[in-house]
Amino acid sequence: MPPRLRPSTLSSAISTCPPVRPQCISQSPRISREFSQTSCQRITKRRRLFYEWLNTTGASLKEPIPGSTNYLGAYDRYGNLIRAAPGWQRNKAENTKKDSEKGAEQATQPGGQEVEDDLEMSARRDEQKKGNAKQENQLPPETAEDLRPFPMNHHFRSQPVLSEDLREAIYQRVKRDGATVALASVEFGVSNERVGAVVRLKQLEKEWIAQGKRLAIPYSKAVLDMVPTTPYVDPTKAKNKYIRPITHEAINDLIVHPATRQQLFVPVAESRHFTRVDAGKAFDNNLLPADDRIPHPELVLAERESAMGLSFEERKALALERMEQEEEKRRRKQDKEQAYLRSLKTVPKRRWDFVFKDVSVDSVGIDGRDHRGVGWRYGMPHEDRKRGQVKIPTKVDA
Amino acid sequence: MRKKPRFHSLKKLKVRQDWSRWSLYSIHKVAQPNTATRTYFQQKWTAKANTRAYHGEHIREKQWKHMFRRNLPAVVPMDHKYLARYDGAEQASGRGAGADSTEKAPKPMLTPYMQMTYYPLERRLDSAIFRSLFASSVRQARQFVVHGLVKVNGKKIPYPGYMLNPGDMFQVEPSSVMFATGAPKVRSRVARKVSKEKTAARAESWQQPPPPPTSTLPVRDEPTPTELKKHMQELMASVESVLSEDVKAKDKQKFRALRQTIKKSIGLWKTANPEMISTLDTQFEFLTAQLQKSSNSAVSETASADNKTPTLSGEEERALRTAFDKLKLETEHTSQWNARDSSAPYATPWRPRDYMNAFAFIPRYLEVNQNICAAVYLRHPVARPGLAEVPTPFPIETGQLAFNWYLRRR
Repeated sequence: MPPRLRPSTLSSAISTCPPVRPQCISQSPRISREFSQTSCQRITKRRRLFYEWLNTTGASLKEPIPGSTNYLGAYDRYGNLIRAAPGWQRNKAENTKKDSEKGAEQATQPGGQEVEDDLEMSARRDEQKKGNAKQENQLPPETAEDLRPFPMNHHFRSQPVLSEDLREAIYQRVKRDGATVALASVEFGVSNERVGAVVRLKQLEKEWIAQGKRLAIPYSKAVLDMVPTTPYVDPTKAKNKYIRPITHEAINDLIVHPATRQQLFVPVAESRHFTRVDAGKAFDNNLLPADDRIPHPELVLAERESAMGLSFEERKALALERMEQEEEKRRRKQDKEQAYLRSLKTVPKRRWDFVFKDVSVDSVGIDGRDHRGVGWRYGMPHEDRKRGQVKIPTKVDA
Repeated sequence: MRKKPRFHSLKKLKVRQDWSRWSLYSIHKVAQPNTATRTYFQQKWTAKANTRAYHGEHIREKQWKHMFRRNLPAVVPMDHKYLARYDGAEQASGRGAGADSTEKAPKPMLTPYMQMTYYPLERRLDSAIFRSLFASSVRQARQFVVHGLVKVNGKKIPYPGYMLNPGDMFQVEPSSVMFATGAPKVRSRVARKVSKEKTAARAESWQQPPPPPTSTLPVRDEPTPTELKKHMQELMASVESVLSEDVKAKDKQKFRALRQTIKKSIGLWKTANPEMISTLDTQFEFLTAQLQKSSNSAVSETASADNKTPTLSGEEERALRTAFDKLKLETEHTSQWNARDSSAPYATPWRPRDYMNAFAFIPRYLEVNQNICAAVYLRHPVARPGLAEVPTPFPIETGQLAFNWYLRRR
């Protein structure tokens, strides 16, 4: 059936089309549109409920609360912020927040306040304290439920990320002071991989600054204001003398080995001293005990030595010895790699280099099936030009 | 042909991986699976359909089935003090001799393995970009990758399905990130006029013959000494702007000393090596070194000069460093990001888009540096007692049903 058009109302229908999508529906729905067979979107119950929710709870989720997270899990069914005090108002909070931010900025203004007289500094601090006391409209810190972006998923919450100061401190500790990654990890309570990543990213950031590239500062500020962050407690400052550094994450995570997923019943004599090492052997012959598989086994050793009652000098000597051994191991590995690279003969060409490797006929072994032997792959065509073969790289060298 | 179903439908509420208000509403509407009146197959089917609408909805079912793994990764946090004190034998000691205690040991927290079903999808490049808050949806992240705006370890990777390896660093073009996460632009009268003018200019340029190709200049990685000097002078100018702004009279003396040193270093800049300013830190070190030299020479020449030339004490050093930081902040505030710019594809001055805060979380398997829009994929997501690292809006029961759907052998 061809669409029935009513020319009289057509032009008006087009001209009244609003340029921006309305946030809430107020105009009365028309039953049918003139230019189309399909019936006009009626305001169904679903749409009404959707916009109702959007104008209550949704409205408070639209813009971030300054200085705090704003997740769905922090609200009750009626769109009230659960952790807020009864008199709390959003707009008022924003104002006070702005004031306090200004104060904080002044306090941390570089150059100015750092080298200021102590007297003035203390006065400023007192002032700030007063200011804090005045803020009755402040939000209490978030609980675990408030950090749930998905209220139904009780096993997920938004975990804190490193603050800018903490990143800078980690970078300086590793790059300027030359601390090892493991040491920095223990000091800051940040996992080994994360320390490495922070240093790498920070290095890149410094390079960008030196090159005069534009950083995405407004974005960074906005994001770090929305997510929970781990602040940096500077231990060199006098006021932080009695404050413990904040641990960012668990640094000694033991990976659950697939061999240990099964339940085992191992009959053992009662007189036997059945330790973790034995338990590991029971699961798998090559399974090391947890002491050796955690990222920081040196912490266990240090703890054991102090429990044995060794003096500080002795422990220090032992730790140094261990570090030396580690270094030696690393050096040997590096030498081996270097030697292998030197044994290769490279002929550079325009697009690719030809690399020649010395091989021996005898390396095939007795049965002629050793993988080091030459020619075992002859006659095997490559399939990478075939249709449907996936050619996404599996790794990119750094 | 059958009409393609709506991506966000109120009739069939599906949670999608994006920062829209429909997603927020459907997250709010997620409910426990109905186990009372439905068969096991129905429950599994619904759970699979709902979870797949969120996790990798742009990936074909067969592709996902190949990625699915039965073995889910988990970790247990260990206490090194406990490991040092006990060797594990204490757990069984005296059991046979009647040492069993009647009181129950505290139950360890549940490890939510069943929320980890979709962990292989989090390894994909496009999901990782979405999870590090560089794109407002997975589809947008995918578009960024396909359009060549994403680098992995410094190399352009146009494959959204690239599986990140632990330690891979990926970078997204900051202007695209600002566009994706910024509030959308509302076209104003002025903006329309500007764009009209622009199109007119473009049309004119098309009419004209293209200019003759100029010989390409050799690209220099390292700046020349004159460039360095210019850079330093700019820094100097900004120091002066800082001075003129909001510093008290007392600090001004110190800042003046700082200005002196910078002036001197500008004079000495010609002899400098370009490698010396690879980073801001080395710039700073260079400055101090130059200052030391100048003060030494001053001492040797005239005795009266040395009380005028400031030697850099620890306090002043800090002041200099913080001044540099201040400069950085200053430049970022007045930078073009936040200036009014009608040519920018987002609303200026930049502000985060609506509802972004409700979705703003960064999982622990990523380490993100927002300043340079780069992140490192540290490790695969894991489950730990009480927490699963795969962000999923569904309850654990739904996760379990979905996992069971993919477990079945057909």
